Amino acid sequence: MESNIRDIVIVGGGTAGWMAAGALAKNAPGRRITLIESEEIGTVGVGESTIPPIILFNQLLGIDEDEFVRETNATFKLGIEFVDWRRLGHKYFHNFGMLGADLHTGVPFLHYWMRSLKSGGDPDQLRFSSETEAARRGKFGRVQRAPPGAQPNMHYAFQFDASTYAAYLRRYSERRGVVRKEGKVVNVRQNAETGFIEAVEMQDGSSVRGDFFIDCSGFRGLLIEQVYQAGFEDWSHWLPNDRAAAVPAERMAEPSPFTVARAREAGWQWRIPLQHRTGNGYVYSSSHISDDEVATALLGTLEGKALADPKVLRFKAGRRRKSWVKNCIALGLSSGFLEPLESTSIHLVQAGITKFLDFFPHRECDPILIDRYNEEMAFQYETVRDFIIAHYKVTEREDTEFWRYCRHMSIPDSLSDKLTLFRERSEVKPYPGDLFGDISWFAILYGQGLTPEGYHPLADAMSDDDLQLRLAGIRKAIMERVEALPAHSEFIRRCCAAQPVTTAA
Amino acid sequence: MNQPLQIVILGGGTAGWMAATALVTMLPRQRYSVTLVESEEIGIVGVGEATLPQMKNFNDLLGIDEAEMMRSTQATFKLGIDFVDWGYLGSSYVHPFGVHGPPASGLAFHQRWQRALSAGRDWTIEDFSFAIAAARANRFDFPAAGKSTINSTYAYAYHFDASLYATYLRRIAEGRGATRVEGKVHDVEQDAKGDIQTLLLESGERVEGDFFIDCSGFRSLLLGGKLDVEWEDWSHWLPCDRALPVPTERTGDLTPYTRVTAMKAGWRWRIPLQHRTGNGYVFSSRFIDEDKAREELLASLDEPVLAEPRLLKFQAGRRTKSWERNCVALGLSSGFLEPLESTSIYLMQIAIMHLVPLFPGGRPDARLVAEFNRRMDLEYDRIRDFLILHYHLNSREDGELWRYCRSMQVPDSLTRKIEIFRHSGYIEDYRDGLFNAPSWLSVFLGQGLRPEHYHPLADAIPLERLLAELDELRTDIAFRIDEMPKHATFLKRYADAEAANHSALHKAEARL
Amino acid sequence: MTRRVEAVAVVGRDAPLWLAAAAIQRSLGPAGVRVQAVELPSWLASADCYSTLPSLASMHRLLGVDEAKMLRAASGVPVAAQRFSNWAKGAPPYLIAYDDQAGEAGDLPFVQYWLKGHREGLRAGIEDFSLGCVCARAGRVPLGPADTEAKISASYGYNLDARDYAEALKQLVTNRGIEILSGRIADVKLDGERVIGIELEGGERVEADLFVDASGAERVLMMRLPGAEFHSWRDRFSCDRVLTASATQFKSLPAFTQISAFRGGWIGIHPLQDRTAITAVYSSDGISDQTMIAQLSVLARLPVSGEAVVSELKPGLLDRAWIGNCVAIGEAAVAMEPLAAIPLHLAQGCISHLVTLFPATAEEMPEAMPYNDVIRAFASNIADFTQAHYLLNGRFDEPFWEQSREAPATGTLRGKIDLFSARGEVSLRDNETFSEQNWTLLFLGGGIEPDGFDPRIDLLADQPLIELVQQRLRAVAELAKNMPSVDQFVGALGQLQAVGVS
Repeated sequence: MESNIRDIVIVGGGTAGWMAAGALAKNAPGRRITLIESEEIGTVGVGESTIPPIILFNQLLGIDEDEFVRETNATFKLGIEFVDWRRLGHKYFHNFGMLGADLHTGVPFLHYWMRSLKSGGDPDQLRFSSETEAARRGKFGRVQRAPPGAQPNMHYAFQFDASTYAAYLRRYSERRGVVRKEGKVVNVRQNAETGFIEAVEMQDGSSVRGDFFIDCSGFRGLLIEQVYQAGFEDWSHWLPNDRAAAVPAERMAEPSPFTVARAREAGWQWRIPLQHRTGNGYVYSSSHISDDEVATALLGTLEGKALADPKVLRFKAGRRRKSWVKNCIALGLSSGFLEPLESTSIHLVQAGITKFLDFFPHRECDPILIDRYNEEMAFQYETVRDFIIAHYKVTEREDTEFWRYCRHMSIPDSLSDKLTLFRERSEVKPYPGDLFGDISWFAILYGQGLTPEGYHPLADAMSDDDLQLRLAGIRKAIMERVEALPAHSEFIRRCCAAQPVTTAA
Repeated sequence: MNQPLQIVILGGGTAGWMAATALVTMLPRQRYSVTLVESEEIGIVGVGEATLPQMKNFNDLLGIDEAEMMRSTQATFKLGIDFVDWGYLGSSYVHPFGVHGPPASGLAFHQRWQRALSAGRDWTIEDFSFAIAAARANRFDFPAAGKSTINSTYAYAYHFDASLYATYLRRIAEGRGATRVEGKVHDVEQDAKGDIQTLLLESGERVEGDFFIDCSGFRSLLLGGKLDVEWEDWSHWLPCDRALPVPTERTGDLTPYTRVTAMKAGWRWRIPLQHRTGNGYVFSSRFIDEDKAREELLASLDEPVLAEPRLLKFQAGRRTKSWERNCVALGLSSGFLEPLESTSIYLMQIAIMHLVPLFPGGRPDARLVAEFNRRMDLEYDRIRDFLILHYHLNSREDGELWRYCRSMQVPDSLTRKIEIFRHSGYIEDYRDGLFNAPSWLSVFLGQGLRPEHYHPLADAIPLERLLAELDELRTDIAFRIDEMPKHATFLKRYADAEAANHSALHKAEARL
Repeated sequence: MTRRVEAVAVVGRDAPLWLAAAAIQRSLGPAGVRVQAVELPSWLASADCYSTLPSLASMHRLLGVDEAKMLRAASGVPVAAQRFSNWAKGAPPYLIAYDDQAGEAGDLPFVQYWLKGHREGLRAGIEDFSLGCVCARAGRVPLGPADTEAKISASYGYNLDARDYAEALKQLVTNRGIEILSGRIADVKLDGERVIGIELEGGERVEADLFVDASGAERVLMMRLPGAEFHSWRDRFSCDRVLTASATQFKSLPAFTQISAFRGGWIGIHPLQDRTAITAVYSSDGISDQTMIAQLSVLARLPVSGEAVVSELKPGLLDRAWIGNCVAIGEAAVAMEPLAAIPLHLAQGCISHLVTLFPATAEEMPEAMPYNDVIRAFASNIADFTQAHYLLNGRFDEPFWEQSREAPATGTLRGKIDLFSARGEVSLRDNETFSEQNWTLLFLGGGIEPDGFDPRIDLLADQPLIELVQQRLRAVAELAKNMPSVDQFVGALGQLQAVGVS
């Protein structure tokens, strides 16, 4: 019996399903890939914000970026602006990309900046972020690959309509031979001995056979949970938000090249500008605020006219205890959920996919591979979880019950270790697999009011005047670069303006 | 550093016991121990000593009671030195301890005096020195404490019997923890590095030490002998190389000053002590032989002789370094300059004062040795030049010595000093060391060097006012002098040695 | 037949010219000496600042200058100390203040007690025991009257706008009836070593018995004399450029001048009343003038506005500052970078020595020799003090600073460093500008940790030592607390004007 996997079945569409379909179609050719989705089951399309690794995913699929941006009504994103998180009236920016430049001393730039702060320097570290400078001025441009020794490239991501992204990937996948099957799965057939899934049975009576199954069925976890009972680890004590009210609004005249996350009474509100409209939503804790209050609060603060009624989604923060069981992996909501505070949803799907490609098994699905995969996916979820928890824990707000809860809640050890290190030396020392590096942690923790006491001891080796000169030089280079960039809307207009949309939705 | 550093002083006398007392007083006893090795066989050169005002500072630092010290050493007060016949036969000038003129005026006082002269006044500079006026009138009192009155412008020193001073200090030093070892040194041992380690006495006793103070006199047993430090000869500038000291019975008034009289081939000192007068002839064997010198001396004395003059030989010069390795030389073992300006004890004392702050805690630090030697170089050079001045600036026609000294080549710095004073009365001031401007002024003027011009700043004062101020000053001085007690009276009240002896005798008798 | 010097011509520029003319006239005018000033074109740029030592106040007293009026005219700010930063890697900034009296503390210099205390764990730094330093840190001016009990007192220098100061001095000279001729020198008539007369471009002739050259590095008279030689100190001092510029004034005036080392030299920040003067002193070997100007704002951490002017600096001295009947004062005699706030002091010192050695006759001037000797010693000690900063620098892997550490130094300076390294003692020579306290602060600040201290210190038991030290600490803190702030001091100057007192 052949040991190669020939048939792959993806249960569920949406972003997760079609990302998987596209990636497998491109990178695991010669296999039969079937994706089962039902138009009855609505997809959760709430306007999606992403992070720079998505560019790698697009590259993995060989997708032309301009075409992609056009087809998904996307705008560009340089980071996230956090408003009212530290305290009401305060805002800070979580930038993509690096801070400053590599000074070739083995000590990251961040510590030199911190040293400058400690000796009376400017408290805004983002003066050394091209992305932030551009974001503040509403500019954007893709920068050519820079020669070594020059400034790093500008990192960016996209803000797009998730459903159009799924549609785009569907077109991509179908062009490459992925078969879409319309319908609902009602039953799953397992091998009596091994327990492996052999086929899924459709509502219309047909069945779809497969060697390997990818569960993108959403919160229900049709395969991973309902068949394999992988179990769910609940994180709601750390992340109490369990609902989101989403509403689209008119497009911004000048769409900002960044997402806004604004802390609210019992959660937070996003603003994601797309080319054709703006996505908004209020993520909240239902035990601290009612749906009606949320709807009022959300509609009351929209910039621009609402284009529909708010739609409420329910969820639970947590993850499936195992993402891979036997011959089935879960992706997307079926594998876990963390609120989109740091735009990580699509990324976690992407991580699951690329890791699966890396671990691509033979038919027998070696348990060692499965265990490793699960370990690494668990790690991925946990580091993102900790990062998000930090936004809530490190706050000065005490003005509502919700914030008082967050401020005083206990936190995972892994997070408190990071906070301790940060307080001492401005860095958290992320592991190689950590999605968020020291720059991101710094942006959040420092932004939310945690000023470290010290920094890397070897950063003191450079003389004061050398340091000042280099900082000034880098700042100047950043200003010059950003000066030369066009306005965000101008950039889009020039290379990737979407076709005008005739319908509102 | 548990073991205290062992300091060994070789030789008693003034040098040895000054060192012992100072070290045992000023260095912490838990860290330093002081041992002095002397032999009663080796005669101390006790010639009746005159001192400088720094002596008082030294005694005060050591907590010595002045009156008690004076009583124990037959001391009298000294306000300066009367130089007779130096410039020319019949001349007499006093080099005082103190300034000429009122306290601290901007322009050097003698410039104003010079202007008064050129305006016709025939005042001598001595008219304006409180110390000189007191000295010549045989009067004495302590100077006023405040800095503003004329009777605060001077200081004083002592004449005393140096060997009694040594004995006096010995009691104090031993009382404070110094150990005396009787014996003559037979040999000196060095350690592997070359530092002095042990003194071997004739008795067989071994005295070990970490640090040595060589007070062995001219022989310079340790510094010159063992450590081989070179001798720098100054006899071409200071040709005197003999002395004939002789005590006389005191018959005249007790003068509060030393008298130094120029002779045919040198000079004679007269130092008044309470119990007798110390005298002596310092002369150059190049220019007179011993017998003639003895004759000249005895003929010149004005008081009955109490003992035979005993010849001493010496040479002007010094060891090129006063501190070498772990040995510092004090007194004669480090160098000799004739006591023309009473500098012998001063040189010992200043060496001790320079040494104490730099005293090593273990093996000597080359940096401290260098600094000490630098300071001692300065002290010696400055005194030497000042002494040369006395000899060089003469106009005596009698005596080969004087002709020689007048025409000899002197150090450049001295020539320059003489020339600029001759031109405009300018005198340089030093921060450290002897001698200051008033001293140079006394000798220049006293030995006949009159400036050709005075400083133009003296012309900035209206002449009337200048003359009036000077006149007033003279009067003020004379008036105050009259009110001062006589030296002898003051001394009797303050520090009568005889009375002390009598009372000690009474006590002794009472016990019997 | 000899005659007195009746006519003195002071030829030069800027403050040294006026100080010399005024001082000579003040002291010797009543003796019949007539003073003329020949004013050459100024070399002061608009941003220039005179940073001075406390000695200037005594010159002002001698001249009968109204201090408050002068400070108002020259935007003057009192300076209690200089603060040196970044002269050694990892070392904190150190202050050099101007304490007059260290205070009686027993028989030994106070630093000895501190050294022992420090070794036993005393945390307070030596600066805490310096009234000048404590005032400087607290933005206060150490005014008298001194605490006569503890005998602790300190002085202060000034930062003065150079052009305004020179202008005010010129006014003073004018008011005193001293004739002023302005222009350039066309010709100097010599007779051997004597200057007979000078002729200006405008045709005016100036004759005098004594000529004073106050023309700065131009040495306009001296260099025409036979045998005049300038001895360069470039082997000891690498800096050959001075740049001056301005920034806005500090909102609250600090009580010190900040001197920060950087890769190519050092930058001085001098607070004035209406602006902040910036001085950059550097070596053109290491950094070009254009780069220096471009980097100035970043290095000074102040936005520089207006013109930045660069001038050449040639440290050194004349072998003979007085030749024949021509005497050089200030920079004309001795040129030195302004690190230790000494340019005006150099002028003042020379003027002082000139008055003390004022020639007794017009025909012959043997006073030249002692003058040259004393100026050489005076200059050498100042050069040593300045160079000590460089010798003790702790910046590595930077050619300028390596060179500064390796530069040749006088035996005197090496001896001073050796002695302090061994015992914490400072041995002053004759003709020194800086006191034991100044040298002590410099040496300790520059990182010397003495190997030992005066053995007499162990005579004092631990308890009395602690008490002595604590008492001193308290006394200084108490005194400093009651001193006015710089803002108050400057404010009071204005009030005097308002009240009409001048």
